Amino acid sequence: MNSMFMAPVTRMRDGLVARRFRPTDIRSLLGVWVNYDGASSGICRIEIGDWENIPTVRVFGAARPVPVDWGEVAGAAFTDGTGTGAVAFDASYDFGHLTVLLAGCLEKRLLMVDTFSTFTDSSGRANYYQRDRFYLP
Amino acid sequence: MAALGYRRAEDRLPEHAEAPGGELDPAALLGDWFATDHRATGIVKLELTRRDGVLYVRAFGANGAKPYDLARSYDWGEIEATLYGSAVTGTDAVACSAVYDFGFLVSILVAHLERGVLTVDTFNTFTDASGRSNYYSREFFHR
Repeated sequence: MNSMFMAPVTRMRDGLVARRFRPTDIRSLLGVWVNYDGASSGICRIEIGDWENIPTVRVFGAARPVPVDWGEVAGAAFTDGTGTGAVAFDASYDFGHLTVLLAGCLEKRLLMVDTFSTFTDSSGRANYYQRDRFYLP
Repeated sequence: MAALGYRRAEDRLPEHAEAPGGELDPAALLGDWFATDHRATGIVKLELTRRDGVLYVRAFGANGAKPYDLARSYDWGEIEATLYGSAVTGTDAVACSAVYDFGFLVSILVAHLERGVLTVDTFNTFTDASGRSNYYSREFFHR
């Protein structure tokens, strides 16, 4: 019995995923991703960089007259479980009054990013979900 | 009144709109959700319930040689989830998130409802020494 079989699982798929003999290849995520919807009120662009094979995420929120730079945070890359190429990432921001979880995945050369925003202030605003779609120009 | 902090236009309240305050109504999310893929190797069932104003998620992972074997599925247990509306003025929940920490694996679970289908993404990070790749999966559920 090999040791992989002994590894604990929470679902069948956990036992099927590949061992990471090689690091996750994050190149598919890298670049300056621009929102297809130029009028989006959410995120207008995302810059994903490479810091020792960890994706760095820098978000620019849609605002006038200029977008709001959210700053750079470390994200995490995920494969599809079989290959070594990254197909998804996540990252989170904590602004003090607001936390935002970013959950992004590649789909046919398009980066779909869902944001889950939780207000931690007393403004009474509802936590909200939003999806934006991005491309590499 | 102090200006509300924001990081994008969507965070701002529309002119003349008031913040809804209170809790989001989770009614649209509640219930038992079953994987649309009867050969799913990921999550086969999700139970979303509310108690004392809190949303709880209970996931069941695929297990067994037979496809869609709910009786033998892995019960992940019940954990608290966070609800999200569609905007800062929203009153009805359309999405939720939760984090399972199994000790050897952390699974971030995010779900949103669209036209009667619950789309669930999991971002799975192994914290043990098994060498398994961190992986992402997307699955669809119906009631």
